Amino acid sequence: MAEKILEVKDLVVEFRTDRGRVTAVNGVNFDVHKGRTIGIVGESGSGKSVSALSIMRLIPNPPGEITGGKILYRGEDLLNKPIEAMRTIRGNKIAMIFQEPMTSLNPVFTVGNQIEEVLKLHQPELSKAQRLEKSIEQLKLVGIPSPDKRIHEYPHQLSGGMRQRVMIAMSLACEPDILIADEPTTALDVTIQAQILELMKKLQTELGMGIIMITHDLGVVAETCDDVAVMYCGQIVERADVKTLFSSPKHPYTKGLMESIPSFDSTLGKKRDRLPTIEGMVPSLFDLPSGCNFQDRCKYVDDKCRGSQGDPQLEEAASGHSVRCFHPLNA
Amino acid sequence: MNIYAYIFRRLLYVIPVILGVCAIIFLIFNVVAPDPALIILGKHATAEQVVEIRQQLGLNKPMLSQYFDIVRSAFTFDFGRSWSTKQEISEMIKAGAVPSATLSFPAFFISTILGISISLLVAFYRGSMFDKVTVVGCVTLMSVSSLAYILFGQWFFAYKLGWFEISGYDYGFPYFIPYILLPAIIWVMLSVGPDVRFYRTIMLDEIYQDYIRTARAKGLSERVILFKHVLKNAMIPIITYVVIQIPFLILGALLLESFFSIPGLGSITLNAINSSDFPVIRAMTVLSAVAYIIFSVITDVLYTLVDPRVRLS
Ligand SMILES: Nc1ncnc2c1ncn2[C@@H]1O[C@H](COP(=O)(O)OP(=O)(O)OP(=O)(O)O)[C@@H](O)[C@H]1O
Ligand code: SF4
Ligand SMILES: [Mg+2]
Repeated sequence: MAEKILEVKDLVVEFRTDRGRVTAVNGVNFDVHKGRTIGIVGESGSGKSVSALSIMRLIPNPPGEITGGKILYRGEDLLNKPIEAMRTIRGNKIAMIFQEPMTSLNPVFTVGNQIEEVLKLHQPELSKAQRLEKSIEQLKLVGIPSPDKRIHEYPHQLSGGMRQRVMIAMSLACEPDILIADEPTTALDVTIQAQILELMKKLQTELGMGIIMITHDLGVVAETCDDVAVMYCGQIVERADVKTLFSSPKHPYTKGLMESIPSFDSTLGKKRDRLPTIEGMVPSLFDLPSGCNFQDRCKYVDDKCRGSQGDPQLEEAASGHSVRCFHPLNA
Repeated sequence: MNIYAYIFRRLLYVIPVILGVCAIIFLIFNVVAPDPALIILGKHATAEQVVEIRQQLGLNKPMLSQYFDIVRSAFTFDFGRSWSTKQEISEMIKAGAVPSATLSFPAFFISTILGISISLLVAFYRGSMFDKVTVVGCVTLMSVSSLAYILFGQWFFAYKLGWFEISGYDYGFPYFIPYILLPAIIWVMLSVGPDVRFYRTIMLDEIYQDYIRTARAKGLSERVILFKHVLKNAMIPIITYVVIQIPFLILGALLLESFFSIPGLGSITLNAINSSDFPVIRAMTVLSAVAYIIFSVITDVLYTLVDPRVRLS
């Protein structure tokens, strides 16, 4: 196994809302390894983005607050760091790209200015000329044609796919250890989506960073990830390497997700459903049932699942394969 | 696109706008308003008197030529003479512009700078006690009538304490300063509330944008984010808000000028309204319309300097 660079341990994140407190992330654990990609999948509102933003300490406070757990980056807990120290890590050691390529770049600064800004901050030893040169190199790296011209352009002059490439160029400018990609291709159309994923894979082989790939889309997981964590209602319900997960899902929710998509093959060129559908509704975070959170949608439900023996815990069912279910499936 | 070509094209648009605005002014003054001759002479005027005064006022001219008189005045600023003072109106405007400007521009400048600075601070400490106290303070300042500020200021600070002149004006720097101090302070008190609230909304709007999240994810400090990323984007709405107020500054402050006996354009306008001095009222209307149009062109040009999306499309 490759070197472990990040450990998220028992992370708990709460939000104070008008309707009371909600626990958006409730005891999440996962590791990021050098050169590997961990996928985080789950339906809307399951806590994927909140988990990712917590690693960067970018949860808006108020209303949000990290109330428990540790985030160990190379052994040091990021949650204990003073904010100034955290800033030297953001964009430098741990970088992040977002779902909205159209709005994630500042409209009033040139692409070059925005890439150079991150270099100026984290690599102050570079001269102005070196920064410019490196920024152009970054654009070339992410496959933007005529980068020496594009560098002087503004975001609105670029397409969505090109903007996401710029975001990637910017996030990788300081060669981070970890890249967090929060649904980097959801807003893009299928062919562009495939190109961007391809690019990220290629850059990972070249630069060796660990990637956290957040997505709705099991197809993206199948194509890009080495490990997967499936989230439901702020908790990880199943975690395994990608082969194991797809060949023998143990949680009824994971199985349902897989059955609800017609094909994992993105080369078919048709747009996949953004949300695989499983019958039933996600319970509100404001009144979660006692016992298993998935009980209302699960066909294997029994009294135990309804809370007669407490909540199910994430337990190792096979080597490297954990599941949060009283009656895990056998493949 | 070339910026000069853009300015030129934008100025060409001004011509039909001025023609339209003059048409509206013409309609208001010549069709909707009662016959000025009757206003001047009163109800019991004889027919001959009415004919005579209509001739004097140019009201017997054909409609179209009266309309073009207004259009011409918009370009030449030759507005004819006042009915009540018989002075050349353009001279009156020139004389009034100076006292108005010495009050309105410093006051406006200070309240704008103050408003932007406070709103940046408030945005920085958003959600904190400081933010809440400031918002409450703004609403409180806004809820008090301007008359209360004027009367209390004149009675207490000028009359009782003798810190300021109660009213009047003196021409030339620095002689006007003691006279404009109190009205300028009141001006700032009146406008800082709405200004801070407006700028605060703009800043907070920017702070929750996706690209601000990106800026944080890059590791930038809140200070750089605020002064670089937020402020430059906020400049776009701020410029509109600031520049569009300038035409009203040129016209002077009606209430402040008349209460403090400052012989500016505001006082002139108020006197003209009181004495039904139609040519003066009309001149002020034309003047404000022209100023408004010119400054909206300036706003557009400034936009292109700040916002690349406008500049390059
Ligand atoms: N700013 C916020 N204020 C209040 N609650 C929030 C906020 N952000 C997130 N939450 C809560 O956290 C939960 C998880 O949100 P999160 O953004 O992590 O979901 P997600 O899995 O990323 O979903 P999506 O696929 O829609 O991006 C939400 O359902 C919501 O209850
Ligand atoms: S614990 Fe019970 S209800 Fe929950 S997923 Fe497993 S079988 Fe279904
Ligand atoms: Mg999300």
